[in-house]
Amino acid sequence: MRIFVIGAGQVGTTIVEALHAEHQLTVVDTDAGRLQAVSQRFDVTIVTGNGASRQTLVEAGVRDADLFIACTSRDEINIISSLLSRKLAPSAKTIVRTGNVEYLHVWRERELDFDHMVSSEEETALAISQNIGVPAAKQTDVFAGGQVQIVELEVDSHVRHPQSIGVPLRDASLPDDSRIVGIIRGDQQILPRGAEKIEAGDRIIVIGSPRAAREWSGLMTRGRRRVDDVVIFGAGRAGVATARLLLKEGIGVRLIEPNAERAREVADLLPKARVLQATGLDPEFLQRERISQSEAAVFAMRDDAKNLYAATLARLQGVDLTIAIAHEAVSVRVFEQAGVDVAIDPRRLTAEEIVRFAHDPRTQQVAMFEGDRYEVVDIVVRDESDLVGKPFREMPMTGTLIGAIVRDGAAFFPHGDDVLQAGDRVILFTESRRVAEVERAL
Amino acid sequence: MIATGLRRALSPAVGVDVPAAINLTGTLLKYLSLTAALPAAVAVGYDEPVWPFVAAGAIAGGTGIAMEVLTRGHEDAGIREGFLVVSLTWLLAAAYGALPYLFSGEDQLANPIDAYFEAMSGFTTTGASILTAIPELDHSVLIWRQFTQWLGGMGIIVLFLAVLPRLRVGGRQLLESELPGPEIEPLAASIRDTARRLWLLYIGLTAAEAVLLAVLGWTGVDDRMSVFNAASHAFTTLPTGGFSPEARSIEEFAAATQWVIIAFMVIAGANFALTYAALVRGRFRPLVRDEELRLYLFLLGLGAAVLFFEIWTEELYGASESVRHAVFHAVSTMTTTGYASTDSNEWTSLALVVVVALMFAGGSAGSTGGGVKVVRHLLIGRLLRRELDQTVHPELVAPIRLNVRVVDERTLRAVLAFVLLYVGLFAVGTLLIVADASRTGLDLRVIDAIAASATTIGNVGPAFGPAGPMGSFDPFSDFSKGVMIVLMWLGRLEIIPVAVLLTRAYWRA
Repeated sequence: MRIFVIGAGQVGTTIVEALHAEHQLTVVDTDAGRLQAVSQRFDVTIVTGNGASRQTLVEAGVRDADLFIACTSRDEINIISSLLSRKLAPSAKTIVRTGNVEYLHVWRERELDFDHMVSSEEETALAISQNIGVPAAKQTDVFAGGQVQIVELEVDSHVRHPQSIGVPLRDASLPDDSRIVGIIRGDQQILPRGAEKIEAGDRIIVIGSPRAAREWSGLMTRGRRRVDDVVIFGAGRAGVATARLLLKEGIGVRLIEPNAERAREVADLLPKARVLQATGLDPEFLQRERISQSEAAVFAMRDDAKNLYAATLARLQGVDLTIAIAHEAVSVRVFEQAGVDVAIDPRRLTAEEIVRFAHDPRTQQVAMFEGDRYEVVDIVVRDESDLVGKPFREMPMTGTLIGAIVRDGAAFFPHGDDVLQAGDRVILFTESRRVAEVERAL
Repeated sequence: MIATGLRRALSPAVGVDVPAAINLTGTLLKYLSLTAALPAAVAVGYDEPVWPFVAAGAIAGGTGIAMEVLTRGHEDAGIREGFLVVSLTWLLAAAYGALPYLFSGEDQLANPIDAYFEAMSGFTTTGASILTAIPELDHSVLIWRQFTQWLGGMGIIVLFLAVLPRLRVGGRQLLESELPGPEIEPLAASIRDTARRLWLLYIGLTAAEAVLLAVLGWTGVDDRMSVFNAASHAFTTLPTGGFSPEARSIEEFAAATQWVIIAFMVIAGANFALTYAALVRGRFRPLVRDEELRLYLFLLGLGAAVLFFEIWTEELYGASESVRHAVFHAVSTMTTTGYASTDSNEWTSLALVVVVALMFAGGSAGSTGGGVKVVRHLLIGRLLRRELDQTVHPELVAPIRLNVRVVDERTLRAVLAFVLLYVGLFAVGTLLIVADASRTGLDLRVIDAIAASATTIGNVGPAFGPAGPMGSFDPFSDFSKGVMIVLMWLGRLEIIPVAVLLTRAYWRA
């Protein structure tokens, strides 16, 4: 593939690093120094110029591109250069990086004709909520911008649930808006037909709404404490995106923001969050607000040093789980060294998401379960697929199960009478060795 | 204070263009004088003297034109002049309203203070009356009484905003100072269109009530309900006025009539913007979700329930009558209409205290009701809760919301200031009335004085004791009547536009 990468910053460089061996890359940036650094490390073509300029793109040979990745740190540049690429190379796939969740919504409503849009704020928020959202889950992944969640749960032998466990699935009372897509018993995969039961010791894989995922985890962890209080330090875009996601999952959020104007703005934006105007670096304040009683503290301030200081202070106060955002690549190691529980690098997450899409532009996201035996695949149904127009009850029961469908930007969880349509995004669970087969069928 | 203000105003370096304010007020008065045509027509129809109305119209029109001519060249009143214009217009409107009473030769209205009181009570939609024998008045004078309330309900200036092109400049601020409530909700892109729609809705609802009442009369459900009565009561229900051409308010009317009036009082005390959305645009969602409306209906229900409990246990009336009287008086008082379906003077003191409390609740913002307004109570409740929350969590940032939207802190301060001024003026009013009563030897209980002050500043209407729903304000001295005239005027304009005139900062450049 001929791949264009606009922007040679941290995200661009990470993408180049992942893709340069297999593909032919052209990197465009206005900063000659940064390009020099990239070309010294990797065998790529470099072009100095504005990625949002038609002339630069044409001269760099954009017309022959197969994939166009706009990943500068400036949203508008990314959008304009991608719009140009749609014009100049209509057959090329486009991936756009944005920092603004609003633009992401515009794209999801199909007002922007790009193949994929990745927001670092959202990736960060998803990563954070994965770390605190569903405590019982062995593994959890979020798809379709947080609308669909996949959880793998272990059915503890001491969990007693006479209506749900040990009862044939068709009679069991289970959370709505979700489907069991796989039951793993020992080494064996059991297809979740109506006659099957969930038994103690099973591992089950469920695709459902975030609320259903929480219900499931509640079901499997009766008596265990629920996460309902998360403190977020810093109400920047990443902090707000995280708060928004957690609130949507029904988790209580306290936001701490030093800037009075921003605090007010955020309080206006998020009616359900409690916003406190403070630096978060004052032990007396942390003590008075009982920060230690929160289940997790997220540090999303702009300054890595402040994040580290505040996280350490929070640990001293007795917060169990500290998650800090690292803006510099090196900070991740510093944080981990200093005892921060989870360090998150938004640029790395963004680059990873872009690379994942670049591998198969149709498959939007892949999650692996049980090592790599099973996969959850997010794929768009082609018009010519044989399965289009078929109700679900008539689909063959192989090892593959569709857990959720995203149609017109909204997710739902299909039942027997629902019909698959061309252009649907399906989130399905399958054995890894069947992925190619499934992709062909759809 | 006004004198010093005016002296300053007339010196060259003032911040207020007084001639421009006088000019605009003159224009408003000129057009207002045309409203005398309606009672004049009624007078012709009933073969009663027409000249009091013609003369009143001519005097008001002449005064208006004179004000315009004397200040020619000062036609550009701005936002600052607006406060002066609004305050002056309402004072002059009441003077104009008093002229037909004086000219009518009616003994009850011969005292100029009495005539001015009756006219001020009319335009401010209060409904307090100094009349002792209402049915003795001519039909034309009675309908003028009713009509002044109808004109004042939606607002004189709002009316002219709708029809006069000249008022388009600075219209919003004029509209805000006349329409009840902390913020106005525009119904259309322009203020002029908003004013027009409000008036059309107002006219439509008035017509609907008049027709409904007339139908009750024709079909024999209510023998007393003549066409004259139907029109008269429609004229004073929608502005939450409360005047009635009947001697004993609406006591003599059939139960069905009273329930119809209850329904229209509830509508009149609710936000017209919501009614407009529901009735004209078919959008019921904002109506159902409105937090103020919910509290408004809840308080009406609560007031009615407590009143019912009180009068039911006292065994004053039968069961269905108790329900009707309780609902009627709760609605009539809280919407600040002031009709009475029975003489509530006979009720227990707990019931009377509930009635006074309802006077303070008032109608909704954007309605024709007076009082503090439900939305202000709602906002103050939320402010208090936040204040308590912030004593424990000083760093908490918690914007106050109303129907999801965040309310500006400035607006909240204005709400607090308004309520403080309102309560302060009510207290001063009570004090003056009590002092004056003991001076003149008027037999007045403290609750009567409290009610008299609350009822006039809240534009409700009846008080207790001698000035009860079936009584009259006539026994009060001229001084007390003057105090109440000022309270009605301040209450109708929601104090601030008048209070601003008393500050030095207003007059300074």
